Amino acid sequence: MSSNYTRRDFLKVTSCSTAIAGISCMTGTLGSLGAQTISGSTKFVKSYCEMCTSRCQIEGKVVDGKSVFIQGNQYSKGMGTSVCARGAAGHSQLYDPQRLVKPLIRVGKRGEGKWKEATYEEALNLIAKKMMNIKEEYGPQAVLFSAKTGEHFSHLSTFSKAFESPNLFSHHSHCPITYKVAFKHTYGTGLKRDFSKSKYILNFGHNLFEGINVSSTKKLANAAASEKTKLVVLEPRFSIVAAKADEWHSVKPGTDLAFVLSLMHVWLRDGKYDKEFVQRYTVGIEHLIESTKTTTPQWQEKITGIKAEVAERVANELYKAAPNCIIDWGHKTTTAKSEYQRTRAILIANALMGNIEKEGGLFFKKKAKTCNKLAGIDIAPTITNPDKHFQTPKTLRVDRASQKGSDNAFIARNQGVLMDIPKAILNKDPYEVKGWFMIRTNPLITLADPKTMKEAMNKLDFIVVTDIYMSETALMADVVLPEATYLERDEGITDKSSSKPTYMIRNKIVDPINNTLAGHEIFRTLAKKMGIDKDYKWDNILQYRVQQAKGNDKLLKELMSKGYISYSIPTLYYREEKYVKDFVNKYPNAKKYLDEDGLMGSMLDNLKTPSGKIEIFSQQVEEEFKGYGVPRDDNNMDVTRGYPYILTSGKSAIHTNGHTHNVPYLHMLMSDNPVWVNPQTAKKENLKNGDKIYLENDIGKEKGTVFITEGIRPDTFFVYMGFGRESSDLKRANGVGTNQSKLLPLIKGPVCSTMVTNVGVKITKA
Amino acid sequence: MSKKYRMIHDENLCIGCQACSVACRSENDVPDDIFRLQVRVETKGTFPNLKMDMRRQSCVMCEDAPCVEVCPTKASFQTNDGVVHIDESTCVSCKYCIVACPYNARFMNPVTKAVDKCTFCYSNRVKKGLDPACVTVCPTDALVFGDISDTSSEVYKKANENNLLYPKAHLGTKPKVAFVPNKRGVSYE
Amino acid sequence: MNNMWGSTAQYEVINWPWPIAVYLFLAGLSAGSIIIALLVKWNRHEKDSSSIWDAMVKAGAIISPLTICVGLLLLIVDLGKPLSFYWLLISYNFTSVMTLGVIALFIYTPLAFVFMGLIFEDTIKENKLLSIFSPIISYIKSFEVYAKRIEYVLFGLALIVGAYTGFLLSANMTYPLWNSPVLPILFLASGISAGIAGNILVGMLFFKSSINKESIKYLLILDLRVILLEIPLLIILFVGMLYAGGNAEVAAIQALTVGKWASIFWFGVIGFGLISPLLIAFTALRNHAYKVGFILVNSMIVLAGVILLRFYVVYAGQLFTGA
Repeated sequence: MSSNYTRRDFLKVTSCSTAIAGISCMTGTLGSLGAQTISGSTKFVKSYCEMCTSRCQIEGKVVDGKSVFIQGNQYSKGMGTSVCARGAAGHSQLYDPQRLVKPLIRVGKRGEGKWKEATYEEALNLIAKKMMNIKEEYGPQAVLFSAKTGEHFSHLSTFSKAFESPNLFSHHSHCPITYKVAFKHTYGTGLKRDFSKSKYILNFGHNLFEGINVSSTKKLANAAASEKTKLVVLEPRFSIVAAKADEWHSVKPGTDLAFVLSLMHVWLRDGKYDKEFVQRYTVGIEHLIESTKTTTPQWQEKITGIKAEVAERVANELYKAAPNCIIDWGHKTTTAKSEYQRTRAILIANALMGNIEKEGGLFFKKKAKTCNKLAGIDIAPTITNPDKHFQTPKTLRVDRASQKGSDNAFIARNQGVLMDIPKAILNKDPYEVKGWFMIRTNPLITLADPKTMKEAMNKLDFIVVTDIYMSETALMADVVLPEATYLERDEGITDKSSSKPTYMIRNKIVDPINNTLAGHEIFRTLAKKMGIDKDYKWDNILQYRVQQAKGNDKLLKELMSKGYISYSIPTLYYREEKYVKDFVNKYPNAKKYLDEDGLMGSMLDNLKTPSGKIEIFSQQVEEEFKGYGVPRDDNNMDVTRGYPYILTSGKSAIHTNGHTHNVPYLHMLMSDNPVWVNPQTAKKENLKNGDKIYLENDIGKEKGTVFITEGIRPDTFFVYMGFGRESSDLKRANGVGTNQSKLLPLIKGPVCSTMVTNVGVKITKA
Repeated sequence: MSKKYRMIHDENLCIGCQACSVACRSENDVPDDIFRLQVRVETKGTFPNLKMDMRRQSCVMCEDAPCVEVCPTKASFQTNDGVVHIDESTCVSCKYCIVACPYNARFMNPVTKAVDKCTFCYSNRVKKGLDPACVTVCPTDALVFGDISDTSSEVYKKANENNLLYPKAHLGTKPKVAFVPNKRGVSYE
Repeated sequence: MNNMWGSTAQYEVINWPWPIAVYLFLAGLSAGSIIIALLVKWNRHEKDSSSIWDAMVKAGAIISPLTICVGLLLLIVDLGKPLSFYWLLISYNFTSVMTLGVIALFIYTPLAFVFMGLIFEDTIKENKLLSIFSPIISYIKSFEVYAKRIEYVLFGLALIVGAYTGFLLSANMTYPLWNSPVLPILFLASGISAGIAGNILVGMLFFKSSINKESIKYLLILDLRVILLEIPLLIILFVGMLYAGGNAEVAAIQALTVGKWASIFWFGVIGFGLISPLLIAFTALRNHAYKVGFILVNSMIVLAGVILLRFYVVYAGQLFTGA
């Protein structure tokens, strides 16, 4: 079952004849192939999903070589046999005749959609030649590399480092960058949320019931349905998480910050916060007292629309429930330019409640290294990164990320800011960019202002897109490389530690249709062709896995069979007596990490922040961005930009971002994203259900259909994201719905450089 | 002792994600754009006093099934454990059962041309000791299935811990699918 | 929430479309025409073969078997799996009105043909083509002593056929407009009125008989009586639904007020099919103007009204569920 490729095998990939008698099909697709032969019997393979980035652990049932049923991998207790609609539709994507399975080389104008089919050999040779030419003439930095984060991003990252380009971009800047940066500045690392045992959850638009992550969704659903947990949701629309809440407050889009500041005002005013915790583990509380002096519940009411007494009451209820409470920052944190202050405020609010390393609160990941150290024995094996010796080029990036003095000073070199790419290309600033290599990303749907991005892309010499469908971005490429879907490829080990050390692995469920290659195979082959692979210590994924596991055969075998291993240790919250006692009982060596009070609070004394403490006030941020060292109102909560209505967007349980809209099973369920309009607004604008309208602002004008519902504020419109597709090869999804990105400007929130997805628009009848 | 199957749909846990619908489609080869199962998500009330109900739309396996009563050829029949099946070979597609079903559960299958509906995944899963596909995949465990006469079963526990409502109970069809009604949200209507 | 659960087309399709409505009409007409034919035959005043009564018997004998055949053919063709229709004849489910109907029709249809054979015995014997059936007719004639009893059986079966179409619909809980015990009586009454009208029409057009004023007056009054029975039945149907509350009440209001079906009901079923014949009949009776023309027009209007009633009940029932 494992892949034992040799270098020769890479070169042996065959092409398929385009002249299939009588059938005229879309170039390069699965549909243009003849019937596939099948053989074998029934088997169950464990892997993990890629229909979204929750990457839940799945089990695929394979009958006669065909994937027929996907469910959760029971070895993962958080999953059980559960899987969401997208995960369950994996084979609908796998066998979709409209999927790309042959490399394509552009023959017409860019974006025209005229291709000639090629073999991987031809395509990869062309790519190697072109990229090396650009490197020679303009330098390696003239090629951009971008992908959504995940294992393929690690492989792309290695490839870009081998190529010596500094311009590596993840998708973070249009999704979670804010909380990643805010966490780094506040706690040094990220924290996990213990929903199941929480008594009070204040949720800022964290819609786990539509942006599904099965194990978290399951926990939150049970918590929400239980009488023991109170769930309060702040969210502009009546989403599914809002519907499960004990209280839903329709906050004006972009104004979360005001509400959080008012909570902190109440706590600090009345002394209702964990003073001991703040004293021992944090720095900078005096700055916060100062910055929240005037952010009263009455003040926030004018901004958010939420009644002052609600803020007063919620603050008190949270304090009462503390430390078994969570103030939840969400996931895609892109609601306003003030996002950094908003998320920092939320993270600090948790610290004020003293819920760190408490049951029902927040906790640090318990990875193998930490657990082994505490226990004094090797409870769990550790893994390593076989590519960690590849150096990140420290040369100037086009977005000047990590450069002191730039507005992207705090953005990591391996994340970058996508919104700065178009102007860098168009203005040749700081230097000329000539090429772009992409995998697992569709910025023309997911990134703001696709029009400007297209303009920029037209200026490039060479674009390579690796995808499974002919997406809008792939249409703009010079070479389109089909990738094997996640069900068709082996990949490496991922550390999934949460409260226990955990690993998962991706195992191939079926053989790749038409011998499509996985991303790592593409990069490894290219690196060889370009002669830049001297630092690679592995030739194929099996070697990569072995190196990750540090030669641990047992670990690898177990992962290949079970797909997921979690090492059972007693759950450990450093500041909860019961849990610490249980852990120390089992691992007496851990005694040496105890404080006088019998808890492991010392584990929080040396965080990865400049001061080693939880930074309520961050000196380093204050130096780069004056006024941003502590959460305060930074006058950036207004997203309207002068327009009468706000357009907001969000996730649906059926589709993922700009990815799944053409997948047959999913398209069958949800094929359109009508614009949610409040009945009062409809009356005012003289609109009926089903009316065709335009949403418009200075960035663009986009069509839509009216859906009248009470579930949205009168001053706001809502659309589910990812529709409004513009690729004729996406036969099902093409031309239907609204692409809200067309109305988003290429702006960034200060400090965290986040995209902003709430924007002012006006509405007109078509 | 024949089994007393029950399926419970907890509308509080249900998030309307349609995973059940997709799993059903995969497991039972349901033809495109036809559904054995849908979950309807209905928003009720006036902003901001709203509630959202999740309603399972599928066969409820009545004990006293109108579809069995009206089928002229006994193609629609019931086994001892109360599960209602369709014998495709003797079904003439007169559609009397479709018309007779108060739950709108049945439909004409465009591929087999016979009448079709949810089967509780009886022959392909339940008989093999598995749960129906929908129950298996539900991300929030909102669906529970089993033999309610077995006091150690999940379904027995759930029935004891919750107020169960049976859809259109007043019709006397004695459905086997019950639901725990939605407790959340405010609607003054 | 905007639709994320997929197409609802399968829930909105009309499962029993126009072929069913036409079948219900044809079955009602078949049953009604033979009932009238038998009643006339049993109570005939004259043995005059050219009188209207004889023509009505002849008409009934022709209409009944032919319409039921066309109706059954329509049903078979309308099945989703028409080639499997034989299962209906092999496998029975006695709790199903459809099975009971199949069994009744199984006996009724051949008997109707037998009746036709006997009434047209002479015509058959004289006609070159049809004379092949002469031996069969003679064989049947040999059972003449049972004739009266067979006619009673046929009459009973006709009543069953006429009423069962109503039970077919009323045995459903899904559609409030169908789920009424009034429906079988309404359909039987409507079928009988169709039988009268049909027999008169066919009798006068094809069996070229003379007709006197007495007969016309009698027929108009007979028609009147049946129509006057249908009107209260319709009122009871809808008033019953209104007082039942819930879905039934909503469905009744919708069915009487919404869209083209409400118009078809008021203008077609009531106005055209019930009120106009009434008006024509009253006018004729009051003015003692017994023109043949009135009778023919009256009959056609009545028949149209019966078809419209079937279409209305079938479609409006499925469209307006009050949900």
